[in-house]
Amino acid sequence: MRCFIVLLTLLCISAKTIAQDRAISGRVTSADGGLPLNGVSISVKGKAIATTNATGSFKFNIPAGADSIRFDYVGYQSLSIKAVPAADLDLVLQSLPNVMSEVVVTGYGQQSRKLVTSAITTVKAADIANVPVSSSDQLLQGRAAGVQVNSNSGTPGGGVFVRIRGTASINASSDPLYVIDGVPVQSGNLSALGLGGGVTSPMADINPADIESMDILKDASATAIYGARAANGVVLITTKRGTAGKAKINLGMYYGTQDLNKYPAVTNGSTFETLMNESAVNNGKTAPYANPAAAINTNWGDLIFQKGATRNIDIGISGGSDKVKYMVSANTFLQEGVVKKSDFNRTTARVNLEFTPIKNLKMGTNILYSNNRRGRLRNDDNISGSLGSVFFYPSNIPVLNADGSYLKIPTFEHPLAALYETKIGMRTNRFLGSVFAEYEFIRGLKLRSSFSLDYSNIEENVYDNSLTNAGSAVNGNAQASSTNNNNWIQENVLTYNFGIGKHSVTALVGTTIQESKTNLITAIGQQFPSDAFTQIISAAVQRSSSSATSWGIGSVFTRINYDYDRKYLFTLNVRRDGSSRFGQANQYGTFPSMGFGWLLTEEKFMENLKAISMLKLRGSYGITGNQSGIRDFQSLGLWGGAAYGDIPGITPTQPSNPQLKWETTKQTDLGVDVGLFNNRLNFTVNYYNKRTEDLLLDVSIPRSTGFNVLTQNYGIIQNKGVEFSVSGDILRPAKADGLKWNASLNISHNKNKIVKLAAPFNVYNRDLYRYQEGGEMFSFYLHPQTGVNPQTGAIVFEDVNGDGKFDVNNDRRIVGSANPDFTGGFTNNLSYKGFDLMVFFQFSYGNEQLNMNRFFLEHGGTRSTNYSLSQLDRWQKAGDITMIPKINAANYASNLRPSRFMEDGSYMRLKNISLGYNLPSSLLSKVKISSARFYISAQNILTFTKYTGMDPELTGTASNALTQGIEFFTMPQAKTFMAGFNVTF
Amino acid sequence: MLYNTKRLQLILFMFLNLGLLSSCSKVLDQQPQNEVGDGAAIVNKKGALAAVAGMYNELQNGDYYGRNFQIISDVSADQAQSIGTWDFYREMDTYQVSLGNQENGFFYARAYRAINLANHIIEKVPGITDATDAEKNKMTGNAYFIRALAYFDLLRVYGGVPGKYGTMGLPIVTTPFKGVDASTMVARSTLAEGYAQVEADLLKAETSLLVSADRTTASKSAARALLSRLYLYTGNNAKVLQYSNLVITDANYTLLPNFLEIFNGKLTTESILELNFNSTDQSGMRNWYVPTSKGGRGDLCAHTSFYQTATSNPNDIRGTLFAYEPTAKIYYPTKYIKAGNIDNVHILRMAEMYLNRAEAKANTDDLTGALTDLNLVRRRAGIADTAAVTKATVLGAIWRERNLEFAFEGHRFFDLVRTGQALIALVNVERKNGTPVTLDVAGKQVFPIPSFEVDANNKIVQNEAYK
Repeated sequence: MRCFIVLLTLLCISAKTIAQDRAISGRVTSADGGLPLNGVSISVKGKAIATTNATGSFKFNIPAGADSIRFDYVGYQSLSIKAVPAADLDLVLQSLPNVMSEVVVTGYGQQSRKLVTSAITTVKAADIANVPVSSSDQLLQGRAAGVQVNSNSGTPGGGVFVRIRGTASINASSDPLYVIDGVPVQSGNLSALGLGGGVTSPMADINPADIESMDILKDASATAIYGARAANGVVLITTKRGTAGKAKINLGMYYGTQDLNKYPAVTNGSTFETLMNESAVNNGKTAPYANPAAAINTNWGDLIFQKGATRNIDIGISGGSDKVKYMVSANTFLQEGVVKKSDFNRTTARVNLEFTPIKNLKMGTNILYSNNRRGRLRNDDNISGSLGSVFFYPSNIPVLNADGSYLKIPTFEHPLAALYETKIGMRTNRFLGSVFAEYEFIRGLKLRSSFSLDYSNIEENVYDNSLTNAGSAVNGNAQASSTNNNNWIQENVLTYNFGIGKHSVTALVGTTIQESKTNLITAIGQQFPSDAFTQIISAAVQRSSSSATSWGIGSVFTRINYDYDRKYLFTLNVRRDGSSRFGQANQYGTFPSMGFGWLLTEEKFMENLKAISMLKLRGSYGITGNQSGIRDFQSLGLWGGAAYGDIPGITPTQPSNPQLKWETTKQTDLGVDVGLFNNRLNFTVNYYNKRTEDLLLDVSIPRSTGFNVLTQNYGIIQNKGVEFSVSGDILRPAKADGLKWNASLNISHNKNKIVKLAAPFNVYNRDLYRYQEGGEMFSFYLHPQTGVNPQTGAIVFEDVNGDGKFDVNNDRRIVGSANPDFTGGFTNNLSYKGFDLMVFFQFSYGNEQLNMNRFFLEHGGTRSTNYSLSQLDRWQKAGDITMIPKINAANYASNLRPSRFMEDGSYMRLKNISLGYNLPSSLLSKVKISSARFYISAQNILTFTKYTGMDPELTGTASNALTQGIEFFTMPQAKTFMAGFNVTF
Repeated sequence: MLYNTKRLQLILFMFLNLGLLSSCSKVLDQQPQNEVGDGAAIVNKKGALAAVAGMYNELQNGDYYGRNFQIISDVSADQAQSIGTWDFYREMDTYQVSLGNQENGFFYARAYRAINLANHIIEKVPGITDATDAEKNKMTGNAYFIRALAYFDLLRVYGGVPGKYGTMGLPIVTTPFKGVDASTMVARSTLAEGYAQVEADLLKAETSLLVSADRTTASKSAARALLSRLYLYTGNNAKVLQYSNLVITDANYTLLPNFLEIFNGKLTTESILELNFNSTDQSGMRNWYVPTSKGGRGDLCAHTSFYQTATSNPNDIRGTLFAYEPTAKIYYPTKYIKAGNIDNVHILRMAEMYLNRAEAKANTDDLTGALTDLNLVRRRAGIADTAAVTKATVLGAIWRERNLEFAFEGHRFFDLVRTGQALIALVNVERKNGTPVTLDVAGKQVFPIPSFEVDANNKIVQNEAYK
């Protein structure tokens, strides 16, 4: 490989141009992205005399008598220059506002959208500006067809569920690859603390205001350049850069409040006692509470919920000359959760710098430094957290004992102790930086080399003092940990762009090497002198541990983009990867893809169809791989430490599988892009079929082997779907400040199917999910409840096996899945004079949601904890028609998993509405301000759903990738009201 | 111009090669740091000793003797009840164990992990070169012992007791796992074959191990003590007598005069095999029984009826090992109550040897001898000699004594099955949350084979009550 690059470099001999009398030569590029423009028509006095070639270059002799030369290109503003002889002119055409003339970022390059053969969706800065979310990946929700985003939790800085074209893997990761300014970054949870089912998102380290665009690569033609890491799609994040001109200073601020949308629906003290009495009587016992009407009532929720603040300050300066371009920004962002003590506090600084020290050499650096702090809680699937306790604690007991101590019930932590006697902190320091150099040897032949580092240090501290459950038995319990994640990436890409007649070609070859090392050091302390001591140094019992792991990947890749006459488009990608995660036998994998496009509107026979301004047919097929999500040394048979008291010990931890190799995804994509009425209305439709084979599957093996699973390449998952997006200017004013209305809608359908599996298996506590052939990912495995006997109040289930009786072991089946049938978003942007209004709806249809809060609280007296309000709909007398059975021990037996707790999780949400006003420039120019906008906005204020829980989007078990759609004492998303401004000087 | 271009190219080469210095093959060659490969595990004495410790670490796990195994027994019997959210123990408490019951599955898998590790030791230790034969015997002896203990426990949970209930055993695997092939799918043995395997392993362990005062790992007497228990299950009274006698006459052990000291202290002379926990390696019993207000999880507590039985004689010192939780109005055991969850777990202790011997004597009509042994245990607990005289009442008194003596130590359910009392004693057992429960089907004297095992191995036949 090394030789190859050297050879190519040697071949780059600079070409010398020969000047002629009256000759003019140069190159035309587009203003956005600097791409060469091929086929620009060059005319003098209305008479065409030349066109540019694939590198955008032109050369001709100026005809006699010419005063000016005009350059025309579809979708761009025309340019005229003086007709004087010159060489190596650099001409830049400004694009007209038009969807199809935009440039999309592809892996290792950029391309005019018009010439792209693949399915790429772009989300622009303007769409996602000033949205108070901590993690950038959340901004994709509802914005891009084929991308499903769930905010698993409302926890500030918490993890986000992102799927591009469905979930393609069972035991390996199905998360997309995130690439920021060309650097594949660490995007998985790095927290070393298990605080319940929730996880944290490293994508929250990024400042959303730095983002210029997010390009989502979906089909194999687009993603295969990332080969073995591309099977789940790629999100390319491009940050803002400076442009030549005077320094621009941007200042943005907003402030808002966050509040609960919905309070926990639990019974009050007297209702609780009434239901407990009813349960006792129905079970043949005496009623425990003499006078429920006189019961006290504690509203536990009031003690822990808060109106949180969210505030953001962005400041940036950008500008440059033709030699140097810079963008420097700083950000501070605070988001407080709706539960006290939870917050996310981020500070970032960024420098994007690009300069041209010598002609044809461009060098630069992109640097992000991010520091953030999280105040975390034990939430989700956790009995020690305040949120769970608010549900579980009976409402008929006081908050404190008479002596002022916490009144605790068995099993659950006291809500106040969870908040005030525990401290959980997480601090992240992240440095994401790259330096690059790009040299253009001859027109169109460029070599770009870069070195990048993505480094995170995470410090976490937990302290439970002696008043907590975790701390009381051990006189205070503390944990401190430090995680270092160190990734370096070195890349070289040689690109050659040339044209011969009507043929134009962009070809690239490249290499990339990446190594990632993670170290974790943990210390645990117990037995503190008093609660005043919180550092482990003062603990009587101290334990510590360290661990380290690493992986590496090395790849070569090539891509050829070819078009003939800008009509027939062709793309070929091949990437070969080697991964440290696989054994010698299968260490390398090759991932090719091909894409075709046909721009029908360039054909003669379409010329008369004036209404159709753009029509492109696309098709692609390719193979991509996946290796993420499995352990770093999954193919090896391993033994790990297993001490017995003070005696060092070892035990087998993993069986070996030297045959282990890449998971491969074969994807077919067919698409149509249509522009109507001079591209006023644009449609895109995509069909895809993604088939993932040789799954990295944890195949359940008999436990009599001493192991639970052997990771093998076995199984097939299929994702088939259709994506549709439309956008158009419903109202296009004649004058610039007239009423303008742009609307866009995207809707996607994905059908997930497990085609082949070694054996069915159940997942999660209580076997709530089942994976089996013919089923879907995230399928709920429950006892199908058909109703309640109106005469007796007994619960009635479907007799699944048809043997005439119900039994818990055989009458259980898959009753639904968390996968939506449709997801999408609907955006309206209106503007009139200085005002602008944005209304954004986001929806999910057909997904089921398991309400575990209700599962635990609709307990019919079998638990001593509070009841869900839904318990009030119980059967009470003959003739009652309800789904909630009579409250007695049999109807709420411990081994029942009734399907009534699986609810329709479909929803439509007014995700964002904002109203802004731009001060008139006539006013601003007097105070030397170039623009100023003030706005108010609100998030999540309306949700239309039948789901009875806190939030239909929640997943309380995000740390388990095989579960989804399960509310489990999870912090819901807040509704936010905020106001802010952006000023540019 | 030409010169400049060349210089530039040189700079670029340097830039390039800087990156390429770390060549691709180097990046792809990553080695595990937290663990070692199969080939570096049991290769010498040090590795073999570590593997022996590793077996005890498996026993210590919360899935097994860390808490789960004892709880499985006692919550299924009339000693402990489930009052929390953990459905899996509530299923056992109410005789509604589902095939996917997590704790049931955890125990099954963990016991086989211990067996696989024992198989590695049995296979590899004879080949190591830096240990003496005596050292090797001690290591393989421990492995035979652990394999026997794990199979015995598995058989008690899933197979039954010969002659009392059950005919099916479990897959018997005596070689370490090296890869999936046809031999991986092992069918269930018969119950008799299973018990024969346990016996054979224990006899090997007895031969290989030496008499020793170390009670944290198996000794010759530990093997004999477990043999005494095994023969009690298989009804071989002569052998029970033989092996109980051998342990009782081992000077390393005594019936510790102060009952409470067994649990307050550590590794007392009462103990024949005691799992040693400490602040870095904590046990789970306390957490599950002690309520939240005292820093536990409090998912389990005593049946009020058992509390009443245990405290019916106010002189019985064992009745002092309970506490009351006023919010939930329940009693919980305080046998395992050390701050820091450092309570040791008692797998074999002297009282069992006396009660095993008493039962074998009673079965062989040596009632005087039986009463002597029984009353030794009673007197230590501070209560008067039993009034029982007939064979039936003496046996009844011994069984009642076991109930009190080994409360929350994981004996009760299996003792009830072994003595044929399960269907009689486990009737209308009162519960805090819900109606009284009854073990109404003989087949529920064993637990279901976990669903994952049936799914992964088509040769596995499910137990009758769970089909």
